[in-house]
Order: sequence, then structure tokens, then C-alpha cells
Amino acid sequence: MNDDSGLALLLLGPAGAVGLYWALYRYYRNTDKSHAFERESKVEAKPVSGSDHKVGTNNGTRDSRIAGDNVSEYRQRVQRAR
Amino acid sequence: MPPRAGDLGVDPSTLPKPIRDELQKSDPVALDTSAKELKDGTNHCPKCAATDIRPKAGTDLLICAFCRHEWQGERVEEQFGFGAGHDQLSGTTIASGARDIAADAAMLRSFKCTGCGAEVTINTQSEMTARCHWCRHVFGVNEQISNGAVPDAVLPFHIRKDDAVARIRQFVDKRKLFALKEFKEQFTPENVISVYLPYMIVDGKASVDVAGKGEIETRRYTRGDGNNKKTYYDADVYQVERRVDFTVDDLPLESSRERSNLDTRANTNNIINTILPFDTKNAVKWNAQYLRGCSSEKRDLDVSHLQPRLADQMLSIARAQVESSVGRYDRGVRWEKEGIDVHGSRWVSMYLPVWLYSYHQPGDKGGLLHYIAVNGRTGETMGSVPVQNWKLILVSLTAGTFLEGLVIWGLVQSS
Repeated sequence: MNDDSGLALLLLGPAGAVGLYWALYRYYRNTDKSHAFERESKVEAKPVSGSDHKVGTNNGTRDSRIAGDNVSEYRQRVQRAR
Repeated sequence: MPPRAGDLGVDPSTLPKPIRDELQKSDPVALDTSAKELKDGTNHCPKCAATDIRPKAGTDLLICAFCRHEWQGERVEEQFGFGAGHDQLSGTTIASGARDIAADAAMLRSFKCTGCGAEVTINTQSEMTARCHWCRHVFGVNEQISNGAVPDAVLPFHIRKDDAVARIRQFVDKRKLFALKEFKEQFTPENVISVYLPYMIVDGKASVDVAGKGEIETRRYTRGDGNNKKTYYDADVYQVERRVDFTVDDLPLESSRERSNLDTRANTNNIINTILPFDTKNAVKWNAQYLRGCSSEKRDLDVSHLQPRLADQMLSIARAQVESSVGRYDRGVRWEKEGIDVHGSRWVSMYLPVWLYSYHQPGDKGGLLHYIAVNGRTGETMGSVPVQNWKLILVSLTAGTFLEGLVIWGLVQSS
């Protein structure tokens, strides 16, 4: 086993402590909860239209997802076009 | 005397056509939901004309305490057509109970008793009914006064108090181990109160455009050997654009400034927000007698204050709607720009029923008020239980130390 993975394993203890604290805190205080209006509202949508154009490549990256992936972060606002 | 709003003081027919057309365009439509038959503040039993009327617990019915006659309030959904025509919405339509609050509107309202002529005062900040202290006539604020206290509609309580108490007890029973000691000692769910909270119920029609980048994985490979193996990815990058036209029905927005502040560091209003939605389709035309025995909070936000929040929520809804259309981008999508056109919206103010239990935790900056809320229609329960921090930290540290011990033991064994 090399030094890197040994050190990473040593971080498991502190990470576990912090993770457990947050999980229990949120279970009691429910600070992460709010009305899921995206799911719970009655929405009638016409079929989604749009376009897709290849504009380049991103080769040799070590990230498994696109940088700044926000496809499921519905409430994260981005630049307003109008 | 200042001119009335929208009054130009010039005859439009003397102006050029484009300006004239603009001036003569229709104003935002106000649907009149006021109950003229109740304007004098007294609500008579249709059978015996007595005024001692109360809501029948667990139903949408009103009951006369004198002759026991029961009757149902009119549903606003059908009466004012709030349930239809979403696709034809255009401009801003505001129901009469959702109109702007007048800056000088008083909280205290006096009524002349129709029974004996005495003056009865009601503080509309928290009460909507009162009894004449002379002749025992029961009054309700039924007239749509301009201080925001009278909505278009009300959704009566269906969940009874004992049910709400049981739900709160059940909720807290699952969160006792690390709860604050004082909270557990003072826990008396019987002190739960029934409150009508003010909301704007909004129908809207909008078009949303979003644009960004999406990536599709073309190759995955590893480099290096032994313990230095690293995974690399190749991907094609696409410019992705999407547009969706949609209508949304009965979106509830808090119309009290205090309740709409959902900053979880400063308050626990997010708890009350979580128990949304309500079955607002069943709301009945405003009648103050539904609020007998309950307290209420007054609306203090106008449609113009809430419009940015509506746009924000509609953008979020649109982003959820387009998600399924970008499934082919297996490395995800980064939306970079978004735009919305709200073609039309319809605003109705409503009192919604909530059972509220509160606990004040002392601390810095006035402490924190913790709520446990039960939806007065569906029974959905959510709450904030204060934690005994030292206990929680101790348990987390113990678990972390145990985990660390296991790791070290494993490392020693493998070396």
C-alpha cells in the first residue's frame, strides 16, 4: 500500500465523525427541508424543444462529471438571459 | 388632489395612435371575490338567522350553534373559475382579496353591531371574529378591507387537535436521544395552536429557455500501473439549448414577509414551508366564521413583491422539466444561461390551516424559535427539534475514533 492511500484511509475517522454529526443534526433540525414545488406542483408542459451542437472535446480529463454539473440543481440560478 | 393612478389628465383621443392604444389597454383584471351579503360583519344562519356560527371540526361545513343547521361554503375554484383557463392566462390577474395593501390601512377595525348598535373593535392582526359584549352578536371581518387581513378564500381545518397532538408526539418520539434536555422537559404538544397563515395561490403560464454545455463520454482508460493506476476520460462537448412552455396550477407562495424568510440560520420557517402543498382546490369563499377559535396572521406582501419569487420558482420548475431531455449527456450538463417570459399569472390570496407547536431555545441574538408544524388538511408533519450539542459531538467523536482505530489496525496488519 502506498503513502497516498494510507493517508486517505486515515482521514476516514474524522470524515466519519463529521458525517455522523451532520446526518444526525439534519435529522433533528431538518434545516435542509423545504417544499419540493418542482415535483409537487401540478405542471402541464408542452414537449421540450431545443438544439444540440458539438462544439469540441474534453479529452484526458480525470473528472468523471462535467465541471459545474447543475442538471439536478434546479434551484441554483445561473446568468439570466432576460 | 393628486390624479388617480393611471390618470393622465389628457383626453387619449387627442394623442397619437400608438400612445392611445397603450393607454387604452386594459388594466390588470381584478376578480371580485368579496362577499357582499356579509358586508355588515354578521353572518346569519340561512335557516334561523342566528349569528352564532362556527366551523364544524374536521369538515368544510359551517354549523349554526342555535338551530344546528349545517351548510357548506361555496368553493372558489368553481365560483370564480380559478381551476380553468391556465393556457389562456395573459397579463396579471389579481383577485380582489389579493390587491395591494394600503399604506395607511389600520389594524384595528370598528364595527357597528347590527343587533344593538354598539361599537365592537377587532384587531385584524391576529383575530378575525369577535362577540358583541352587549348583545352577544357574533361578528366577523368579512368585508375585504385594504389592510391585507381579508383574503379571497379560506381552507378550513380538517385535522383535529387530538390528531395534530398525536402527530407531533410521534414526530418528537423519533428524535429524543439527542434532543435538548430543556426541550424534552417542557414538551407539551397539547399547547399546539391552530393558525391560519396567509398565502398567495398562483396560477402561471410561462416560457423558459436554458442554454449550457453537456458532455458525452467517448472513452475511459487507465494509465500507470500498480498502485499508481489513474482513470482518464475523453468526452465530446455539446452546446445544449432547451425551451419549454408550461402552465403551473396553484403554486403557494408565503405572503407574510416574516414567514417568507427561509434563512435556516436565523429561523425555522422552512419547517412551515415544507408542509406545503395544501389541497387548495377545496378552498371556500372567505367567511370569517371559519376562523373562530383560531388565530391568524395577516398578509403584508403584495403581488409585486412576490413576482420575482414566482419567476424564480417557475425557472426551477422548468429546469426540472427539461432534465429528462438531456439524459444522453452521461457526464452531466452545466446550465449557463436561463431566461423566462411569464405570459400570464393569476393571484388569489388564501388562508391555509396549520397546527403549530413552538419552542424557544435561548441563545445569542435572541435565540431560535423552533417549530413543529402539522398541515391542517393533509396531516403532513415536519419539525425542528433543538439538539443537545455536546451529546451529539461526543457520540460523533466516539464513532470517529472507533472508525479510526479500525483503520489503523488494518494498516498495521497489512504492513
